[in-house]
Amino acid sequence: MYALRKFVRLAIAIVIVSLLPFASPSSAQELKIAVAADVTSADPHFFNLFPNNNIAEHIFDKLVQMDPDSKMIPGLATSWKTVDDKTWEFKLRKGVKFHDGSELTAEDVVFSIDRVPNVPNSPGPFTAYTKAIIGKEIVDPYTIRFKYAAPYPLAPNDLSTIYIVSKKAATGATTEDFNSGKAAIGSGRYKLVRYVSGDRIELIRNDNYWGEKSPWPKVTFKIIKNEAARVAALLSGDVDAIEQPPIADLPRLKSDPKFTVTSKISHRVIYFNFDHLQRVSPFITAKDGKPLDKNPLTDLRVRRAISKAINRPAIAERVMESQAVPSGQLVSEKLFGHVLGLKAEAYDPEGAKKLLAEAGYPNGFNITVHGPSGRYVNDEKIVQAVAQMLTRVGINSKVETAPMGPYSARASKQEFSFHMVGWGASTGEASSPLRSLLATFNRDKGLGAVNWGRYSNPKVDYVIEQALQQVDDENRSQMLQQATKMAMDDLGIMPIHFQYTIWATRKGVQYVPRTDEYTLAFQFKQAPGEMAKR
Amino acid sequence: MSALPDTVIVEPLATGAATETPLGRIARDFVTNPIAIFGIVLLLLVVLAAILAPFISPQNPYDLAQLDVMDSRLEPGSKALTGGTYWLGTDDQGRDMLSAIFYGLRISLSVGVASTVLALLIGLTMGLAAAYLGGRVETLIMRIVDIQLSFPAILIALILIAVLGQGTGKVIAALVTVQWAYYARTVRSAALVEKRKEYMEAARCLALPPSRIVFKHLLPNCLPPTIVVATVQVAAAIALEATLSFLGLGLPITEPSLGLLIANGYQYLLSGKYWISFFPGVALLVTIVSINLVADQLRDVMNPRLQK
Repeated sequence: MYALRKFVRLAIAIVIVSLLPFASPSSAQELKIAVAADVTSADPHFFNLFPNNNIAEHIFDKLVQMDPDSKMIPGLATSWKTVDDKTWEFKLRKGVKFHDGSELTAEDVVFSIDRVPNVPNSPGPFTAYTKAIIGKEIVDPYTIRFKYAAPYPLAPNDLSTIYIVSKKAATGATTEDFNSGKAAIGSGRYKLVRYVSGDRIELIRNDNYWGEKSPWPKVTFKIIKNEAARVAALLSGDVDAIEQPPIADLPRLKSDPKFTVTSKISHRVIYFNFDHLQRVSPFITAKDGKPLDKNPLTDLRVRRAISKAINRPAIAERVMESQAVPSGQLVSEKLFGHVLGLKAEAYDPEGAKKLLAEAGYPNGFNITVHGPSGRYVNDEKIVQAVAQMLTRVGINSKVETAPMGPYSARASKQEFSFHMVGWGASTGEASSPLRSLLATFNRDKGLGAVNWGRYSNPKVDYVIEQALQQVDDENRSQMLQQATKMAMDDLGIMPIHFQYTIWATRKGVQYVPRTDEYTLAFQFKQAPGEMAKR
Repeated sequence: MSALPDTVIVEPLATGAATETPLGRIARDFVTNPIAIFGIVLLLLVVLAAILAPFISPQNPYDLAQLDVMDSRLEPGSKALTGGTYWLGTDDQGRDMLSAIFYGLRISLSVGVASTVLALLIGLTMGLAAAYLGGRVETLIMRIVDIQLSFPAILIALILIAVLGQGTGKVIAALVTVQWAYYARTVRSAALVEKRKEYMEAARCLALPPSRIVFKHLLPNCLPPTIVVATVQVAAAIALEATLSFLGLGLPITEPSLGLLIANGYQYLLSGKYWISFFPGVALLVTIVSINLVADQLRDVMNPRLQK
């Protein structure tokens, strides 16, 4: 009995002590943010992975940066232009100091680009963005030229992904030196204080930053993978802001005046791949379970019928709780290559049935719809809703889902008939989905790398390849739009919607949301009047 | 079961019951406990709901054409777009919870019973073989049983589902693999006790064939403890299946069993949409409690040592 009482007393003491830090409102000077995924390294060239880049954005700068709408803006380069067809010239910003006080010059830029392909054991290097460069020329300490083998309009887009490190600090440095903070010397808004894998990243403000300084002197990123735990951390006051609150909790967060929810349309399109291969498709059978003699998805009328059968506004409203906009194309508004006026296919179940009958399937057929689980917002629920809508027009649907790892391995081997994926246009333009998702699969040219449905249309390919060499922005935009329209008329893939990226913050902190889904400390603003109240 | 009378007579405590069949005695003793009657009535209701699900459900929750995502997450008592009322509300795909629970019970019970029967058959065979044959066979079988029982059931089931893939048959296979060891161990210990009794010696002295000794004499006397274990294990199998589905590893997501229904609703609990998890949870609870009540009484009735 005595032992029990002692235990209870101890437990109460522990609870009180652990609550103490939260009892006082966290200082307005420090910002604590809970992020959803683990950061695997503080080395900005080690792994092209979203959570890593999210931290690198704070410590390092790039020649070209992206504004919240994924438009390119000057970063370490103040201007860039083509000297001739195959040469780009970048003018560097003068007087930029690294965290160790040394000045940024063209040497550091060359060093950084040379380092990208030479990081040992990199699980996913940034080489796709540097390998087109065949020559680098330092004209003067603030001018650098890049040579390409062919006209290359995407040079600024590519360089908007490469973080510039200090040559002095990083020469001979390993990824471990970056993780320990020794070599993690950038020119960004924050200096790395501590990187603890799987737990937290602590940053302190760089007061010598060349641009607009962040309002937060100290920032801590906490890694909380479980979404319920993330919300709980916000509710308890343990953190000031979280990314990706679960959609189911939004009504509650929105109705509570102590919290603010911000969201913005993402550059990520959620879409379905059709099996375009001319053969019997693995997951399609006739209504009586017998195999069909051909693959119905190669018939445009069937693809159109499927697209018409899907009630995209219902999915956006009910499944996504209005955190998505129906889409009929590859990139959202404001992104380069968006086709104005190209709307999502209207919901028309009767039209779908008519088209199916025309195509020779008056009674429909059986299909298994595949989707990933836990990769995209409400992915499993979207797949189920699509299956129920297809069943209603006569295409009897079953649903199978799997975690992204095994799922993508099977999808990339064309093992599915009809499956869901998402694609983020990280370079901020339609060329990214066009060359990866819709160009004919060609390993040598690096085209169609994620074209898992093996869509192939030589006319679309031609326009994409022309666009990829078109340096003039206006012309390139026109060509990208043309290619998008052709591929969408053909239903090479079937877009469903653009998802929203969501952030939740405590009252007094506001996020300026971004298309590229990044959670950046310096984009959190203190709400006016908040300082006075404290 | 025809062999039961002459073996039961051997039991010294069964005196005065010679005119009554053992089943009759069990039934008579069973109804002496009002809680057990309550349990069996509850269980009958659950079984009836499961069997009659296609006739009493307002909707077929597994027919995607009957679901409408526009009807999703409606409160209990809401009206459907197509008329009709969702008495227990709808889930996130617009599935009528009442129908989903009836159909979910069907899956839970059939998976529970099927896996128990199969595991019982395997366990009985293994246990009897171990006890009767002894020697190396016994060592081999019982060490496998020991190894298997040293792992948590859920762990083995998770690994198996990960290897086999999803589907009703595979879930049953996983549950059988997890459960047969319990029966094997119970049957073996019961058989070892019976093996040394005089009636067995008598049977051997009469030079009866081994198959007759095992099936007519040994097996019937090992049944009572095994039946008790089986009743408890049905409940355990149902709970394990619900756990697997809750973790998203059991049955297809378009055919939710109770565990998956609870998992689907779990994420809405904080936002006040309690019904998606709550009612399937209650159904699961009622099923397992009623089975356990029945199992408890069966154990009391079948255990001669507890007889007055």
